[in-house]
Amino acid sequence: MLESPSRSDGDLLRLLSGGDETAFLEFYRRHQGMVYRFALQMSGKTEIAEEVTQDVFLTVMKTAKRYDAERGSAAAYLYGMARNIVLRALEKERPYTATRDDITADAAAANDTFGELAQSETLEILRRAVLALPPGYREVVVLCDLEERDYAEAAEILGCAIGTVRSRLHRARALLAEKMRAPKGARYDRCAV
Amino acid sequence: MNDSDFVNQQLLENLRALAADARGHAPQHVEERVVAAFRTRRRRRNLLTWMPLGGAAVAAIAVGLWFNHTPKGSTIPIEDEDASFYPLAEAEALPVLENAMVVRVQLPVSSLRMMGVPVSEEDSDRSVQAELLLGQDGLARGVRLAQ
Repeated sequence: MLESPSRSDGDLLRLLSGGDETAFLEFYRRHQGMVYRFALQMSGKTEIAEEVTQDVFLTVMKTAKRYDAERGSAAAYLYGMARNIVLRALEKERPYTATRDDITADAAAANDTFGELAQSETLEILRRAVLALPPGYREVVVLCDLEERDYAEAAEILGCAIGTVRSRLHRARALLAEKMRAPKGARYDRCAV
Repeated sequence: MNDSDFVNQQLLENLRALAADARGHAPQHVEERVVAAFRTRRRRRNLLTWMPLGGAAVAAIAVGLWFNHTPKGSTIPIEDEDASFYPLAEAEALPVLENAMVVRVQLPVSSLRMMGVPVSEEDSDRSVQAELLLGQDGLARGVRLAQ
């Protein structure tokens, strides 16, 4: 049977709740990347990201019948589940222990002869800095800056006011900027205009 | 531009670069696992949905064997003249048929309709003699009309 590309998330969820495997596969392929990336960026671990992705779609199978498009988008429904599962997984895991000291030490160590950090190294340091944020700040950075969701979507996913998202993001970016600022010889200080 | 603005601007640029760098997808084996789980769940659900009907069929057999007072040869209009066993949907989830037994029972036409046998709707209140194909587990795999 040919699939219609215009099938909405609501249609797919209704069909898959009735046991339609094609609908389930279409829904999975449409959204798995988003769930996987969110979990990976929140945890920094591929095994957690895989487990979360799997658990989210297993939960979808069980709860799709109760999904109501008027109460929120499918993305918010999936992120909401992913968020709960990630936070539970992070509680079980040993917390990420990167501190400002090791991040700035990494930044300093990554300097080459000309005092430039390679872009990939900068990104790796930033990735670590994001992972070292408290979960409440990390999730707004992941949603708004890395997954490029707007404030309203992030607020819907996190179940809070838009203003809260805005203020958490502001604070999270300040923490990141602080963590990325190496004490001496690092790119930001040296290149500041 | 002061130092703080510069740092913030650099940070936003790097966050955008990090977002572009992180366009990953779940590995294929995750898809395989969730699809396998979906199939298992569907099979279980089908079994649970049809088990009461299977139970009802077995009960009907017992009742039919004890109280088969209906005159032989009663007929109803059948839309499908095929006399072979009509496969029951729930049988797909059952183990492979190893030993079979055919049991003749008296069944309401409405039950036959529920099993997917194409019988006339007008005769839903009547009963008819049917043969059930039972597997080694006592569960029905197919049904056909005795006449």
